[in-house]
Amino acid sequence: MDQSRTLQVAAGLGAVLAWIVIWAWLTRPGGPVPTLYFPAPDDVWAKFVRMWQRPYIGSTLPNHILASLYIVLTGWGLAALVGIPLGIAMAWWKRLKWIVFPTFQLIRPVPPLAWIPLTILWLGIGDSARISVVFIAALVPWLMNSMLAVYSIDRLLLDAAKTLGANDRQILTRVVCRTALPTLVAAARMALGSAWSTLVAAEILAATAGLGYVAVNASQLLDTDVLLVAMFMIGILGIGMTGLIGLTQNWLAPWSVLGARRD
Amino acid sequence: MEQSAGKMASGTTDPAPEAPAKLELRNISKWFGPEGEGVHAVDDCSIEVKKGEFIVVVGPSGCGKSTLMTVGAGLEEPTHGEVLVDGKPAGPPGPTRSVVFQKFALFPSETVEQNIKFGLQMTGVSAAEQEARLAEQLKIMGLEQFRKSYPSELSGGMQQRVAIARALVMQPEILLMDEPFGALDAQTRTILQEEVQRLHREKHYTVLFITHSVEEAVYLGDRVVVMTRRPGRIKRVIELPRDVAWKTGDIELASEHPEFIEFRREIWGLVREEIVSI
Amino acid sequence: MIEKRLERMGVMTDRGKATAYGIFSLSLLLILWICATSLFQWIEPRVLPSPTRVIGQFAWILTEPFSGLRLPGHILSSLERWGWGVLTAGLIGIPVGVFFAWNPWFRTFVNPVFELIHFIPPFAYIPLAVLWFGASTATQAMVVFVAAFPSIVINSQLGVAQVEKIYIDAARVLGASQLRTLWRVILPAAAPSIYTGLRIAISNGWMALVGAELVVGKVGLGFMIAQGQENASVATIFVGIITIGCLGVLIDTLVQRTERFVLPWRKVAS
Repeated sequence: MDQSRTLQVAAGLGAVLAWIVIWAWLTRPGGPVPTLYFPAPDDVWAKFVRMWQRPYIGSTLPNHILASLYIVLTGWGLAALVGIPLGIAMAWWKRLKWIVFPTFQLIRPVPPLAWIPLTILWLGIGDSARISVVFIAALVPWLMNSMLAVYSIDRLLLDAAKTLGANDRQILTRVVCRTALPTLVAAARMALGSAWSTLVAAEILAATAGLGYVAVNASQLLDTDVLLVAMFMIGILGIGMTGLIGLTQNWLAPWSVLGARRD
Repeated sequence: MEQSAGKMASGTTDPAPEAPAKLELRNISKWFGPEGEGVHAVDDCSIEVKKGEFIVVVGPSGCGKSTLMTVGAGLEEPTHGEVLVDGKPAGPPGPTRSVVFQKFALFPSETVEQNIKFGLQMTGVSAAEQEARLAEQLKIMGLEQFRKSYPSELSGGMQQRVAIARALVMQPEILLMDEPFGALDAQTRTILQEEVQRLHREKHYTVLFITHSVEEAVYLGDRVVVMTRRPGRIKRVIELPRDVAWKTGDIELASEHPEFIEFRREIWGLVREEIVSI
Repeated sequence: MIEKRLERMGVMTDRGKATAYGIFSLSLLLILWICATSLFQWIEPRVLPSPTRVIGQFAWILTEPFSGLRLPGHILSSLERWGWGVLTAGLIGIPVGVFFAWNPWFRTFVNPVFELIHFIPPFAYIPLAVLWFGASTATQAMVVFVAAFPSIVINSQLGVAQVEKIYIDAARVLGASQLRTLWRVILPAAAPSIYTGLRIAISNGWMALVGAELVVGKVGLGFMIAQGQENASVATIFVGIITIGCLGVLIDTLVQRTERFVLPWRKVAS
């Protein structure tokens, strides 16, 4: 069991290495792929190191990263503050759902990006335009999954709580909200994915810092190596944040990650 | 041995009319969906459970016996009829009527001790009292070493022990058990049946117990109510001997006793009629 | 109280009530919009145009060319790019997914590249696509491809991996070759999952297309919204957003409807 896992990891690393070798071979001086279209791995690495220390279009790489993180986390967090309570409330009081849900259904099929031009017109190209687009992008998964979390709670648990003397408020706070936690962690992950990908587009369209801004400028300046650095950073940060959310499940909802023991 | 047959409409065949029953289901009918169109689960059922009595309801699957339980607990409103506790309308569900569900219904986000203390916290029992009652129940149900475990870490039998402890810790006047051992394997079931028998003998709980197992009914019940197919009506009520030697020992021994065999045959015959006749 | 009685009589079902509440809240929203714009002008028309203004703009774009094309023209060019992207993603993604499940070594080798595509958001590819292909249909189609590809691969792989081994064994006992087992047993069993992947891909691709068109291009619905921003015409943006939303719903409904014909053996439609 353990041995085959080690083998898997080794094979995976081997594959990554193989691809880097293929990449280096394809982009070697005089190779089949011109570096203008796809730079060599060592160029990308050198550019990464350089960007870490020296500013590129206004800021160093860490500052661009911080700019992106600030927008995405603000929009995602605000969406959580609205989406979780509203989603739970809509699942709990069906009249509220009947009133709010149709409007929500109207907005849902519109890709969050389509709001970018509107927010730019309304709010200018400052942070608030991007934050509100990220907010819209994250709100849908937050709200839908919060509703789902409540709906997927076994009715029997609510019955059990009633027979133990819990009133509606106690059931909502102690049974519903806690039992919903694992689903909310999944919601957080989906909302972040949606927010992160929308942010990149928003930064391409209107920003003065951030990884998407770096990418679009690099593309215009034909700095392909910078463009690849930006893309890799976007991917790595996405994976990193998703991983962090996964870890929170261990202390937010430890019961949901335990292996069941059956006899 | 068969003492009262047919419906136990209040006042007709009631053998002891002096005190009101602890729990009385009076002329209960239940429709799911609009009356006359939806599903007719239970039709005009009346059951009285006296203080300290262990009543078992048996019937074929889907006969509405679980509906009787949810109505008795106050989780569903009956379409007709009423539920009385000590002769007064019972009202919404609450800790005087504790329920043990077939599928345990433990809160997955709470440890064993949190689950058991849940009802005490809901009803504002003092912290010291909570701890004392928790300790007592953990001891009775043999759960001391699992107090910090989550339900998902426990076997089905252990989970049902927690559920029973959670119901008993409320010191309920009435205990409602809805096929509590239906989801367990045969060995665990036997052990828990014996423990429930012992608890009832020692503490004289008032119990309404639903099952589809005839053996369980004969072993545990003071009286057995046999129900018809849907819509569930009461087919027969059978009085069983109380405090006889075979009911206080192991179920294994009891099932070899001639009296047990006789009752089992009689009740199984009644249930079988309902399953076979179409 | 009245509600309760109607409920008991079976007149007022939950569904009926939900519709009533929905109509009520949506009309309220519409009335609010009309009040804020046409009636009392609480909000400047430059910021929020009135409903009549939006409908007028819609009619205008429908009949008069806007940046070279009428609305149907923009719609068609968007649909074309989207179609190319999704089609290529399906043609490459399904075999890749099936081989992922079929051959673990192939999977180990290709996985790093796949994960790269999976984890970098599709919009991050826009600058690269522009650099490679310029402002052409290929740029948009590449972004749609990147958005659609992962869900197709993942779901195809899942579908094949979930086929119960007894079916494969049964086919082998009956003397079927590997290829025929794949064709007759595995693919039909995996089809529902593959279909789900396509459905996700189709809607992801649509979202990505809008993003790509916002940034680069001279036609398409995304371009239309961007143009609206350029001209500070909120009404044009509204027309664009509404069209994009409606088309999205339409496409998804169509895909859902066709499922019954494409996969008649699937029992439960999710």
